[in-house]
Amino acid sequence: MRVFAASLAEMWSSARKRNRLSPDEATAELLLARRHLGRHEPASQRTLELVLAAAAGPATERELARETAAVTAFLAALPEPEPARRRGPRRLPVLAVAFVLAALVALCGTAEAGALPAPLQRLAHQAINAPAPSPAMRVPRPSADVTPGPGATGSRAAPGSSGPSQESRTGKPSANPKPTHTSDSQGNGNGQPTASDSARPTATDNGKGNGGTPGQGGNPSDHPTGNNGNGNGNGNGNGQN
Amino acid sequence: MLVGDFPEVLRRAAAGDASAFARLWRDTHPPLLRYLWVSAGDAAEDVAAEVWLEVARRIGSFRGGEHEFRGWLFTMARRKMIDRHRYEARRPVSPTGDGELLDRPAADDTVTAALEYISTETALALIATLPRDQAEIIVLRVVVGLDASAVAQIVGKSPGAVRVAAHRGLRTLRERVAGATVTSPGRGGVTL
Repeated sequence: MRVFAASLAEMWSSARKRNRLSPDEATAELLLARRHLGRHEPASQRTLELVLAAAAGPATERELARETAAVTAFLAALPEPEPARRRGPRRLPVLAVAFVLAALVALCGTAEAGALPAPLQRLAHQAINAPAPSPAMRVPRPSADVTPGPGATGSRAAPGSSGPSQESRTGKPSANPKPTHTSDSQGNGNGQPTASDSARPTATDNGKGNGGTPGQGGNPSDHPTGNNGNGNGNGNGNGQN
Repeated sequence: MLVGDFPEVLRRAAAGDASAFARLWRDTHPPLLRYLWVSAGDAAEDVAAEVWLEVARRIGSFRGGEHEFRGWLFTMARRKMIDRHRYEARRPVSPTGDGELLDRPAADDTVTAALEYISTETALALIATLPRDQAEIIVLRVVVGLDASAVAQIVGKSPGAVRVAAHRGLRTLRERVAGATVTSPGRGGVTL
């Protein structure tokens, strides 16, 4: 306990010594703060005071000699005045208009080239007389592919799908939902127009389909047998059932 | 020090008023030049010009009072000076004559000479004989008039370290002027 108390007292006294400035340090603080020392101070301290006072003396002619050059450099280095800075916001509408114009020109060029998606191309056709969308650009329908029908040999129609859906696979333009061979089923057996119509490939076609069911003499059967898109398309049936 | 006029002078200078800037320059340039002379030697004028150019570019964004302005200015000056030292270290110049020795008086020359008239230049030359960090701190405190904490921020040290360096520098200076006869303008000579 005594040892602890002694060490505590020692720490206390050393802290007090640390916080208290020595006479030299106190004088040094006075000198650094540019305060005059008393006459009781040693001569060396007073000499030092003179040196420091001379170092902090008033400005000399030599030090102020470059004032004109400094002011000129200041004026030259100043940032641009405020009105010049307002150019930024003014540029924004001009840039926006230029961007919109460039986008319009690009859109028109694409429309004239016929490279737009079909709906847009159709719109462009109506609006600016651009070329109409070609049939090859039609959007594929999500249904009606992949699984071949059970009753159609080689056909890709969905199971259970009837004739018209299979007919749509044969390359007939989708704008005419009527199956091309319905006339055959009715015994008219014409087949010629259907062949010519269905000869056009569609986007849903596999690329080879160019014909509908040949008019095989007005076959009443409504099965588009063998209609996998490889049909002749030159239906030469005479429609005589 | 501009004291009460400082905010108005600063505002006008930031707006591009040449006379306000001139007033600011007249008030601050001499201590800046002295600080740089002690720290950077012969490059003081060039570094000071770079500092004022930087001030001109950035004065519009400065916020604060006169003490803060001085701290800002001398922080910039110190950075420019350090850049200058680095540049000179990369590209050392080897003088062919004795000019470098003649430019700055050695400690012995300064102290042993009987100084009949101590000018600002002589006093600064005497301070410049100290180690650089001590000389820098003494000039910032005595010539520029900053307190220990402001100097500590500029030189990147603690206020305690700044005090210690300043006291050591003053002790060294006192030892060096001992025995010399110093006469200050307007005061009687002090003979040691």
